[in-house]
Amino acid sequence: MQKGEMYVGWSTKDDVRKRGGSGGLVTSMLAAALDKKLVDAVVVLKKINEFEAVPIITSDINEVLNSAGSLHSVPSHFAKLIANRNLKVALPAKGCDVRGIIEQGKRNAINMENTFIVGLNCGGSMHPVVTREMLEVMYKIKPEDVHGEEIEKGKLIFKTKDGKENAITIDELEEKGYGRRESCRYCTIKIPTNSDIACGNWGVTGDLVGKATFVEINSEKGARLLQNAVDAGYIQVQKPDEKGVAMRTKIKGVMEGLGQKWKDKIFVPMDNRLEYFRKELEHCIDCGACKAVCPTCSCGDVSKCTEYHFRSDAYKMSMYHLVRFLHLGDACIGCGQCSDVCPVDIPLTRLYRRFANPIQLELKYEPGMDTRKPPYFEVKLNE
Amino acid sequence: MSDNVYSTICPGCNFGCGLYIRENGSLGVDFRKSSPANAGKLCRFGMSLPKFFAPAKSMIDGVETPMEEAAKESAKRISDSKGSAAFLSLGNTSNEELLAFQKIAESYLCTGVNFEALPKDTYQTISIGIPYSEIEAAKHIVLFIDPYEQYPLIVRRLLSAKNKGAKITSVWWKDLTLADENIRPDDISKLALTQDSIIIADFHPLSDTEQVKNVLSLAKNAGAKVTFLKPFANSTGEYIISKDAKQKSLAQLIEDINKGTIKTLFALESDISALIPSDTLSKLKNLIIQAGQASSAKANIVIAHEPLYMKKGTLINNEGRVQALGGSGTKGLDALGIIAGSKFDFNTLHESIKKTIGITVVDEFTIPKYDRPAYGAIQAAPKPVEKKPALIDVYNPFIWFNLADDNDFVELNLNTARALKLLKGGTLKIKSNGSALEKKFKVAPVQDNVLLTGKSLGIEKGIITPVEISR
Repeated sequence: MQKGEMYVGWSTKDDVRKRGGSGGLVTSMLAAALDKKLVDAVVVLKKINEFEAVPIITSDINEVLNSAGSLHSVPSHFAKLIANRNLKVALPAKGCDVRGIIEQGKRNAINMENTFIVGLNCGGSMHPVVTREMLEVMYKIKPEDVHGEEIEKGKLIFKTKDGKENAITIDELEEKGYGRRESCRYCTIKIPTNSDIACGNWGVTGDLVGKATFVEINSEKGARLLQNAVDAGYIQVQKPDEKGVAMRTKIKGVMEGLGQKWKDKIFVPMDNRLEYFRKELEHCIDCGACKAVCPTCSCGDVSKCTEYHFRSDAYKMSMYHLVRFLHLGDACIGCGQCSDVCPVDIPLTRLYRRFANPIQLELKYEPGMDTRKPPYFEVKLNE
Repeated sequence: MSDNVYSTICPGCNFGCGLYIRENGSLGVDFRKSSPANAGKLCRFGMSLPKFFAPAKSMIDGVETPMEEAAKESAKRISDSKGSAAFLSLGNTSNEELLAFQKIAESYLCTGVNFEALPKDTYQTISIGIPYSEIEAAKHIVLFIDPYEQYPLIVRRLLSAKNKGAKITSVWWKDLTLADENIRPDDISKLALTQDSIIIADFHPLSDTEQVKNVLSLAKNAGAKVTFLKPFANSTGEYIISKDAKQKSLAQLIEDINKGTIKTLFALESDISALIPSDTLSKLKNLIIQAGQASSAKANIVIAHEPLYMKKGTLINNEGRVQALGGSGTKGLDALGIIAGSKFDFNTLHESIKKTIGITVVDEFTIPKYDRPAYGAIQAAPKPVEKKPALIDVYNPFIWFNLADDNDFVELNLNTARALKLLKGGTLKIKSNGSALEKKFKVAPVQDNVLLTGKSLGIEKGIITPVEISR
């Protein structure tokens, strides 16, 4: 196996195949990596209910095999979880997870040689509190009655315990303010080709639909990961058919196009930008959660944004935010975590992207998409 | 290797914020985005929890000892005190522990607040707040708090209400950014309430009873709703459990210690150093602290056990929402059993709590139905602030212990800063009762002649302290 190859595969374990999403290939590949000591630990989501799962780092194969499948209402991020822990680890990763991990790698907080990134195709995730409200308002079903969910042909489908399927188009949901998190709507990384191996159900055809995962090997590490799982008897793979490969490319193009449309819709020019930023930030309570959760920040507690800022300052816009705007110009990956955790609901990702979009376009630099260091990252001092 | 992750509730105040505590060599905070009270969002205190949960060690007179020995020695000293022991719990632990504690504390129970000075028929209104969803749906909200400083997670609910068209009136010493109308406390006659109004105030150990009565009276007369936010993780649970118990106020406890009628104080999960003067504490023969994390008070006996996030049990938040703590630890209950002389059974206590609240299962997504009885007319006589400089203590519910926080400054307005010729980045001299100190200041839209502080400066005499100020 080598970089550039594509396969369709599934778990050889019956229970994983039934429980895991799309044939349980990712779960089994991670378990095999642990079993054969390719890694010392694996990151998995421990499912609590349909709307909650907690990411854990584990060396327990059974914990991996029992881990959650795909959960769209769990917008977690794994980069900070594994940073500064010196682990030899494998983990599943959405596009934004991969970008965060790569940025942490550039900042020496993650050893990329010891990190096996299993990329997951991602059309977006939803905030669990918004999802619960959406179920009651739009679907007219109780969140407790939900037994599973999936996205198919532009519709978000919730299965209830009585066996019924309830579908509404994502467009309709998002028109009403529900559906995906805003940052997911304008994200254009749908197949994480920046991971070691990209996995998802797009491109699976025929009898294998819903029972297998399409994989694309993006690196030598990705090839080792897949080969290891095959050799250990955890998964079976076969070559995809041409129709599947074409379908996957088409879906990717359509999804990326939709993301770009959202980007064009949200990031329109505006009058009185200074006042806009000031108003959006005026309720900040200085909790620091946006920095703590930011997957590309590796400064720790002591950094320019925190040390230049004092709560006794009476600035209309704090130095904390001004420094972060500057730092995130070439670092923001638009993951939405800062907006998720802001206690006063400041749309921080949108604010950061307003600076980052033009800067990253101008510098032709997309953070987290490759290992290229950010422009002006290094400074040479004259002796 | 596998991370220990606890799904728990923030101990900072009674808002009921869900979060994860992760143990992996050190402690970390993770955001529990599915939590109904806070959607995973945390304030400055919540973000500092790894520092707050500094481990405690059981001690007898400064010597480290097993927890059981510390509990046994406590039982002995309480017994030897022959009626001069008092029991204080501010409400920072599970309902199950509080129920057990109440059985021990029958002779002298102090919950830190002064229910005795308030009409009995207001107990339920003060104890159990209204759901945050009702606040978000309100047409008019009146704030007798500074939400940014005191209960930050209410801010997003207020902004949500405002986005839906609510008018927000603040009755405070400082203009609040989110308020449409700012009224100074002395100008309360300008406040117009209707049946569509919701008043948000708070209730804590330093609350001015007349001010609490005044808020209740305003709500009563207008037919408005009123909700009291509270500062301890399980204040609501504590008040529900203690409803029929005879309670002493904090002021009474301090007086009894000063008089010498109370010589032994047992404090359950309550850092008393911020509330009881050190010269009063020094008069105690025995200070016994039972806690899950280090306390700043110097105790004769420390009974140390697992922190809140590792405990088994339930809390009740401001809304009345019953929330499960994420752990399985019952050592706190074991210690209380040693002091009581008979072991407490968790399941019996838990079932008793559920029966009291009228629920069969603990479901954080459903707020139980509580009686919300009307209360009678109330006469209140709140004291006006004198027209000379005053330091106003904005009671900050978060017990920071020795945690560093960037709040070591007072707020004053531009007129005052100019009149005193204060310099940017400089300090202000504050004198009161023979004490003097120098503090950094922040210019903010504060009432003339008022200094606001979110941190106890050590010179306060109650909420409002007359001061002299100079450059």
